Amino acid sequence: MRDFLIIYVNGRRHEVRGRRAFQSLSHFLRYDLGLIGTKVVCAEGDCGSCTVFVGRHEGDKLTYRTVTSCIQFLYQLDCTHIVTIEGLKYDGQLNPVQQAMVKCQGSQCGFCTPGIVVSMCAMFEKKRDVNADDLRGALVGNLCRCTGYDSIVKSGLAVDTTTLRRLDDLYPPDAIVSDLIKTAGESVRVTDQKTFFKAVTIDEAARFRAENPDCMIISGGTDVGVQMNKCLRDPRSILSLAGMQALRGIEVKDDAIVAGANATIAEMEAFTRDVLPEYSRLLYYFGSPPIKNAATIGGNVGNGSPIADSIPAIYAMNGEVELVGTSGSRRVNIHDYYTGYKKTVQKPDELIARVIIPLPKAGETLKLYKISRRKDLDISAFTAAIWMRHRGNSIDDVRIVYGGVAANILRLRQTEDFLRGQAFTLSNLQHAGKIARSEVKPISDVRGSADYRLQLGENILTKFFIDVSGTTSGNGNGWNDGNGNGNGNGHSVDPTLEGIAGEVH
Amino acid sequence: MAYVGKDIPHDSAIGHVSGESIFIDDIPPARGELLCDFVGSPAAHGKLISVDIEEAKGVAGVVAVLVAKDIPGHNKFGPVVKDERLLVDDVAEFLGAPIVLIAAENRDALREAKKRVKVEMQPLKPIFSIDDAIAAKSFLGPQRVIARGDVEKAIGSSEYTLEGALEVGGQEHFYLESQAAIVYPGEHGAVIVHSSTQHPTEVQSIVAEVIGVPFNKVTVICKRMGGGFGGKETQAAQPAAMAALVATLTKRPARIVYNKDDDMRFTGKRHPFKSWYKVGFDKSGQITALSIDHYSNGGCTVDLSLAVLERAMLHTDNAYYLPNVRITGQVCKTNLPSNTAFRGFGGPQGVANIENIIEEIAIKLGKDSLEVRRCNLYGSEEIDPQIAQIHADSEEKNLRKSAQSADEISSRLETPYGQIVQNNTLPEIFEKLPATSDYEKRRQEIEQFNRRNRWQLRGMSMTPVKFGISFTKRTLNQANALVNIYTDGTVMVSTGGTEMGQGVNTRVRQIVADELGISYDAVIMSATNTDKNNNTSPTAASSGTDLNGAAAADACGRLRNRLAEFAADFVFNDGEAGIAASAENIAFEDGMVWDKRRPDHRMTFEQLVCRAYIERVNLGERGFYATPGVDFNRETGKGHPFLYYTNGAAVSEVLIDRLTGEMKVTRVDLLMDLGNMINPGIDRGQVVGGFIQGLGWVTTEELYYAANGELMSHSPTTYKIPNVGDLPPTFNVALLDNSNNTVSLKRSKAMGEPPLLLGISVWAAVKNALSYASEGEIPKLALPSTGERILMALTSYMKERVAESA
Repeated sequence: MRDFLIIYVNGRRHEVRGRRAFQSLSHFLRYDLGLIGTKVVCAEGDCGSCTVFVGRHEGDKLTYRTVTSCIQFLYQLDCTHIVTIEGLKYDGQLNPVQQAMVKCQGSQCGFCTPGIVVSMCAMFEKKRDVNADDLRGALVGNLCRCTGYDSIVKSGLAVDTTTLRRLDDLYPPDAIVSDLIKTAGESVRVTDQKTFFKAVTIDEAARFRAENPDCMIISGGTDVGVQMNKCLRDPRSILSLAGMQALRGIEVKDDAIVAGANATIAEMEAFTRDVLPEYSRLLYYFGSPPIKNAATIGGNVGNGSPIADSIPAIYAMNGEVELVGTSGSRRVNIHDYYTGYKKTVQKPDELIARVIIPLPKAGETLKLYKISRRKDLDISAFTAAIWMRHRGNSIDDVRIVYGGVAANILRLRQTEDFLRGQAFTLSNLQHAGKIARSEVKPISDVRGSADYRLQLGENILTKFFIDVSGTTSGNGNGWNDGNGNGNGNGHSVDPTLEGIAGEVH
Repeated sequence: MAYVGKDIPHDSAIGHVSGESIFIDDIPPARGELLCDFVGSPAAHGKLISVDIEEAKGVAGVVAVLVAKDIPGHNKFGPVVKDERLLVDDVAEFLGAPIVLIAAENRDALREAKKRVKVEMQPLKPIFSIDDAIAAKSFLGPQRVIARGDVEKAIGSSEYTLEGALEVGGQEHFYLESQAAIVYPGEHGAVIVHSSTQHPTEVQSIVAEVIGVPFNKVTVICKRMGGGFGGKETQAAQPAAMAALVATLTKRPARIVYNKDDDMRFTGKRHPFKSWYKVGFDKSGQITALSIDHYSNGGCTVDLSLAVLERAMLHTDNAYYLPNVRITGQVCKTNLPSNTAFRGFGGPQGVANIENIIEEIAIKLGKDSLEVRRCNLYGSEEIDPQIAQIHADSEEKNLRKSAQSADEISSRLETPYGQIVQNNTLPEIFEKLPATSDYEKRRQEIEQFNRRNRWQLRGMSMTPVKFGISFTKRTLNQANALVNIYTDGTVMVSTGGTEMGQGVNTRVRQIVADELGISYDAVIMSATNTDKNNNTSPTAASSGTDLNGAAAADACGRLRNRLAEFAADFVFNDGEAGIAASAENIAFEDGMVWDKRRPDHRMTFEQLVCRAYIERVNLGERGFYATPGVDFNRETGKGHPFLYYTNGAAVSEVLIDRLTGEMKVTRVDLLMDLGNMINPGIDRGQVVGGFIQGLGWVTTEELYYAANGELMSHSPTTYKIPNVGDLPPTFNVALLDNSNNTVSLKRSKAMGEPPLLLGISVWAAVKNALSYASEGEIPKLALPSTGERILMALTSYMKERVAESA
């Protein structure tokens, strides 16, 4: 067992010991290493100014993803290679992305610019031939208050892609990887007033948890990182599962998605694109690329927020949580998993190992909705997941799940009871909306009033009908296709409806 | 070659994209440096009973814990009225008002010490809303009036009247770099202050007063800001003064950087407004009389509220002639952090009101709002025959325009405050933009769509802007600049203009390079520094380039004249060749100097200044500029406050989901008149950036307070500024070809604030969309038009319909 962290920054190896291991990555970069190009604005991962690359070795390769360094703590980053804005020039010269940003006036005040450049470089790591939509997707997590984004998008489109180099070219991975392969199998424990433990196996993780029942479990850390930065949480002991191989991986098994707890939202979004596109579409709006690269499905489920975006679908599909502890593993139905606000049936020695989401079968439809103040990168005011099985034009079975209307994700059983056996018509869904309204008791808060949420709770069933039946006049009846994947866009005003072009001039 | 008019990359672009630009917190820590933070009032309104700082003092690493009585100079300050306290000494007037200032050697000690301060307060009744302030007569300053004609009578005899109220929300600046300052103590009580400020001179004066030294002992430096937008015009002074206090009392460098949450919770914002109006109009939609009473939420102190209110009143006409008008304005005092300057400075609130009124007139008369806007526009002095023809054409197309003879049009030029609108380019914009944006065709499509589609709604509106350029406070319309030429031919320029991304430094460099006929690269801008430029005006009111560029040009002109005389006398004077000394004939271009009569005989600028230096010629100059002719009497509400107006318009179209209230801006067409642009790339960036900032204000940016007055939307998680996804999918930005702005520098026009006001077109488009659902009723819509507000409005129409049919 090691008592220090190994972190590479821009190709240089650092061993981090004691107290320093407990700081955030952005703090370490700025104040320990003097790499002030990484800016901190919000300290909650929501503005993207602190975006950096994290490279983790996968086999003999380094795979780079962007993260918001303000809510990544060093103890999550053992055996990684961090590349910052300072490390992106080519031999001391501006790289093609930087050159384009200069030429196209992509920066004004400059404070968001390093994060923008990192995000844009990350996009080009994956794909060279990009369009405006790629740029919008890549930059969704980078707030800029000056430019209005137009010149930034134009910069991205003006990049001379023929001269782009890959990070593997700038930082030959061989030496770093061989070091990391040697050391990544070691668990790490650092104690300095606080203790953290980086577990390598599920067993030792469960043991640490049993010995430290109050410990904070962290993997992606996109929520607890915020809480720590804002002094809402100051854990004495921390169990880091970040990067644990045993909890990774996603597969389809027995007609269900089986996702390791450490599967990131980005991985889930990519994996479900084919097998459960509705879920993939929702996860697109889960957060920005850096957040989705860090946040894990196990973390989102375990954190148990009533407005967590990934959970309603698991409810609607009657999914399960696989828990593993010192005495073995068990599966708990998601409907039995939560016992109160952010409370679960998990025992002190148990960890989430896997999340199981059954796939819709023929004749079944799943629709997911997320309503927030801003379309992209926002926390939901209201979420809904509706699963329905139909027989002919009647509703054979249905599960309706709302988020943002109670202390927990809520199943609307009275509404379901009403709908079961009814014909699939607008008037029945509208009536169901009235029942749904009476079944929920939302509160008013910064994301919306109780009345607003009640109205959304009522209307979303009508929207479900329209999306599934594909009607615009609102008088159509029945399913518009047999496979139960209605053609409406489940969670957005669709600007393409009237053929409005997507070009920026 | 000329640099003015070229799309030259921003002065700091290379540093920005490589992460090498230095902002306040990027300055490396100095030996012994302390970090500062404060403990604020737990109550929005309360009397301070006791403060216990003993425990906090005992925390290891804590060096100073200070309260009001520790301040060696004055605790009182304020940009207009000295009604602010650096540290609360008696009554706290907003939640978080600083009471105890702490300085420590590290963050952990600071965090720990903050927890150990004990503050006891006796709560007093707070006021937060404009309605409550009016009821309690809780006001700041007097009520102001701008009026013309007999409004009551004119409304009484109007064919139609409408009345109502509009609530306009505030806006958080959301500059990315929080308020920040570092202060280094010097000899004999002097301090050097690095501040992220739009107004170094104000920071200088407030720091001097707080630490009790004369102004000349305080030097304030601002290299750049990570955004300002007005939020660092007055309110950068408090953190700087706190750090200065620590530096002075501990003799150690002191740094303060607000975290984002504190910055959002404890600093001022754009003023919320509530305005009550009554308008009279005829059947064509032409306004005959308007009476409007504005109330702004000023927060707890005066700050710039009176001037903000004044500009709101001066922009209540926006682009429209109001024959009979009475505009009143009153600032309300509430227990919120003092609201302050924000890009537009009251103008947006004034304009939102008149544009709301126009939309309502259109709905009332069943007309297109564009038609109503056209017939209310200020005239243009000279009617271009081509435009007259377009007028005639549009009449044929049944685009009804109220019949106006050329005489009538030219008489419709006087603003409510008496200034005559000159060189009005709006009539031209109103002809061009509807055509290029396909307005009429889209209007028909929208009407058809809304009839056909039960679940979605579309709406569209075109709103203009006529933004007055100049500080309404006459004194501030001045600037000085220092231009130093070194003997290698390079030049360093410093002005009072501060760089916050808007490009003032780039533009000044371009101007100086052209004025001296040297390359752009030979000119650099120094950090803004009060020991180079004294008594500077804030970089605000869109005036940064107009004022500072003109001052720099003035300095350059004098240097060039002096160098021309020297060159004529000492260099090119050649009696044998028959060339007598003639300064008028000396040319400066592309880094070369020559006598126009002998163009083959040239020397470099560097050679010339070297010669000049040897011959003891002064190679430095101070330039000065004061805007001519502007003045405004706020007592009478009359005057000529603006040098000129910047004009533009935008057509915005929105798509709304009737079931969720979600709204998307689907297309924007924008046309602005920026005169001859000094830097088209940077200017365009201001236009787009300003528009999107305005779009945020009118759609998603909502300030949400808890019952105790605490701002709950205090971070990007809960306060949603536009992100890249909010960039309209179709966004056409065009600029009018106009070289007629002879009163301004290089015939350019200021553009920092005006495009923000075009964001109002999005809000108007939402209102327009709702009017298709409300079936004749005038939809009431507060600003911003959040998804929640849209959904609740749509729901109420549905309910009414159900009730009617039942």
